Amino acid sequence: MTNLSGGTRTTHPVAEMYAREYKAGQMSRREFMVRATALGVSAAAAYTMIGLKPAMAQRVTPPMGGKLRIQMQILALKDPRTYDWSQLGNVSRGLLEYLIEYNRDGSFSGILLDSWEANADATQYTLRVRPGVKWNNGDDFTAEDVAANFVGWCDTTVEGNSMAARMGGLVDSNTGQAREGGVVVVDPLTVQINLPAPDITLVPGIADYPSAIQHRDLIGTNPLDHGIGTGAYKIADHQVGISCRLERNTAHSYWGNAYLDEITFVDLGTDPAAWFAGAEAGEFDMTYETVGEFVDLFSAVGWTQSDVTTGATVVVRPNQLNAPYDNVEVRRAMLEAVDLSVVLELGMNGQGTVGENHHVCPIHPEYAALPPMVVDKAAANARLAAAGHADHNFTLISLDDGLGRFTCDAIAAQMRDAGMTVTREVLPGSTFWNDWLNYPFSATEWNHRELGVQILNLAYRSGVAWNETGFSNAEFDRLLDEANGIQDADARRVVMARLQQIMQEEAVTFIPFWRSLFRHYREGVLNADMHPKFEINVHHLGLAS
Amino acid sequence: MAFFILRRFGVMILTALCLTFVVFFLTNLAPNLEKLAKTQGNARMSDAEVVSWLDRNGYGGPLIMRYGEWLGVVPGWVRLDAPTGQWRGRCLGPGDTPETAPRFCGLLQGDLGHSTVSDDEVSNIIGGRLALTGVLMFWAFAVIVPSALLVGVLAGMREGSRTDRVLSTFSIGTTATPEYVSGVIFIVLLASSQTGISPLLVQWGWLDGGTLFLGSARSAMDGANFWNFTLPVMTIAFYGMGYIARMTRASMAEVMTAQYIRTARLKGVSFRNIVLKHALRNALIAPFTVIMLQFPWLLTGVVIVETLFNYNGFGWTLVQAASNNDIELLLACSVVAVFVVLVTQLISDIGYVYLNPRIRIS
Repeated sequence: MTNLSGGTRTTHPVAEMYAREYKAGQMSRREFMVRATALGVSAAAAYTMIGLKPAMAQRVTPPMGGKLRIQMQILALKDPRTYDWSQLGNVSRGLLEYLIEYNRDGSFSGILLDSWEANADATQYTLRVRPGVKWNNGDDFTAEDVAANFVGWCDTTVEGNSMAARMGGLVDSNTGQAREGGVVVVDPLTVQINLPAPDITLVPGIADYPSAIQHRDLIGTNPLDHGIGTGAYKIADHQVGISCRLERNTAHSYWGNAYLDEITFVDLGTDPAAWFAGAEAGEFDMTYETVGEFVDLFSAVGWTQSDVTTGATVVVRPNQLNAPYDNVEVRRAMLEAVDLSVVLELGMNGQGTVGENHHVCPIHPEYAALPPMVVDKAAANARLAAAGHADHNFTLISLDDGLGRFTCDAIAAQMRDAGMTVTREVLPGSTFWNDWLNYPFSATEWNHRELGVQILNLAYRSGVAWNETGFSNAEFDRLLDEANGIQDADARRVVMARLQQIMQEEAVTFIPFWRSLFRHYREGVLNADMHPKFEINVHHLGLAS
Repeated sequence: MAFFILRRFGVMILTALCLTFVVFFLTNLAPNLEKLAKTQGNARMSDAEVVSWLDRNGYGGPLIMRYGEWLGVVPGWVRLDAPTGQWRGRCLGPGDTPETAPRFCGLLQGDLGHSTVSDDEVSNIIGGRLALTGVLMFWAFAVIVPSALLVGVLAGMREGSRTDRVLSTFSIGTTATPEYVSGVIFIVLLASSQTGISPLLVQWGWLDGGTLFLGSARSAMDGANFWNFTLPVMTIAFYGMGYIARMTRASMAEVMTAQYIRTARLKGVSFRNIVLKHALRNALIAPFTVIMLQFPWLLTGVVIVETLFNYNGFGWTLVQAASNNDIELLLACSVVAVFVVLVTQLISDIGYVYLNPRIRIS
């Protein structure tokens, strides 16, 4: 963590502007940390700028050694660019590390990068590679590796490569590959990223779980097949649906500190009741996530609770490519019929804050407050009748357990209260995810993103890979492009307000609430606090002696 | 006898063929294949892409031909993949060409195929899972057989007595309680630190924190012990026991009314000797068949118990394979199930001959 000691470096002018805004009370500490560190200011320096002690000291130094078991779903590993679950990143993080890590306080710190800087208008990023890092096959980790990964991320021809969307302007839309001169290796320890337009989401993008760094010759391969990485661990055993064991790689000299000797991820299925039974039976020491009523239960049996407020939510969306959801009046009627505070209470046990049917969370820096949406069941029914779909049978599909199910039950009940006909369909996890993008009306859990524009880019821009609403709106896309280039959050908020409005006007989806995320662990597990993006960095974990 | 066994094997092969064909047919219905394509390929594939994916991965030909490929009587499919310029095929590994790879690779060649959900060879998966289930079944039987016979004999030796009524009520009760009910009740009563008897025991100082038994059998896969394996074994045994006990009781009660028992009694043989020396062997013929017939029922029982207690054996694998439409894993599971059922029946028939000299096979 050399970034921690970088307090003497001259700071970014925009970051100083942010610091002034923070001191004037225009920005929360969290927002300040996200934005300042995204510009390359180290976390410690950022804290110093606003006159606080670094919160990074929250992480303690555990004693060496120990074995830890974590309850988490184990899925088939694949090319990291195509990861669609944070669990995949957690498994491979012991082997394949990331350039930058997003911390739970909203700041970024360098892992394989020693530091990074953005120019004033965020069109050029200079990435300085951490010296002395080695691959476990003996090769040096250099700027070539970083550049090769950027090129790989930009390859839109790879099916399911979600990194391409995160790379934004770095992808040449004509070739579907990285732009000429976009990724420049300046010297063996420096890479320069040149963007055609300002983009503030690059740093959060390369801190996200599909951006695991592979060896320059192994881009696009499954880490399980080659086992080459910079991390301190090796994957000793990996069985889909059962468990995955990481062992310290004694043949490899790791650049940093790793404390545990062995980490085992244990898959106990998708039923939280089974997790709880497993916890009582001593099958694991730490949960990936604790949900719903089990939050209280785990605390009741003496486990330590850790929570974090996030922009994670359950998106209950109609898909506009399916009739009658292509009719905006139908969608408006649906939204008008549902009181979201009730959904929060029933779906989440009140563990969160009420949403506003647009996908920008109050903790995002550029969030704009809008007037509350009107709930009027009678008007909703009249609107539906006027649209000619009064007798439509809404089939709402969700997972058979967890948040999605209860949230959908609450929404369905409210729609029924308004006189609509709703059928609920629940599918097991293994079946549900096969087709999550295409169900006419269903619920999907979305994780937290660092900036408000990020999730709009990922899920609501016309035709992007994860657009499950089928939403396609030229004005929305144009404004989103504009927002992506506005570095100043206050200026961006003006555009954002309109984007949020469009989502509400077009009744794109239910965003019923913003979740607080919970995790539980046994006493003595160190640095295992819940992360807003469910990340588990096995290198930080430890056990008290 | 040899002819009988041979005929039995013939029946077994025929049954396995029919069953696997039914499973193959059901898993290859168009919506199931589409599901498979979208899981393996990309969840957002269009219908045309699904068709092309299925075709590229060998799911395109006529059903009966693909079934033949799986059996190993029809040559495995091969095709040149245009985008990558590499050969792909059922029997081809990465980099193989049709010349270097075997022509046939199916069940007859000992190749069970590839599991799509686990991304591994079926043969690598199924062996270990079966062994785990074997351990569970063994202990379940070790509990069921002695306890059911004891309960049945005790109840049947004096039909209508108070002992008989109490034991019969108990065994009817256990047979009437399916695994998914008894398992949950066991967990609540015995494996929770909040409800049931564990908190009481802790309060009384008889238990040093934690729970009496474990409500998850995951650790039993590495090493089964009394603590972590009791509940799954009991859940299976509880259900299987009552039925066998009832059969034993009926058989015992019938034997006890037979003429030769009356004769023995009149000769002044003690009741103990009558039961142990004269009645028992004859009374055990019927239960023996029933015990063997319990195997197929236990196979369905382990599906529930293994899922409930997170024990990754055969039953759990079957659930995973079915819910993910993992065709070849599911087929392998069916073959194994047919094999287990018919072999136990065979043992039951042969054993019957030894227990009852009046019966001749063939």
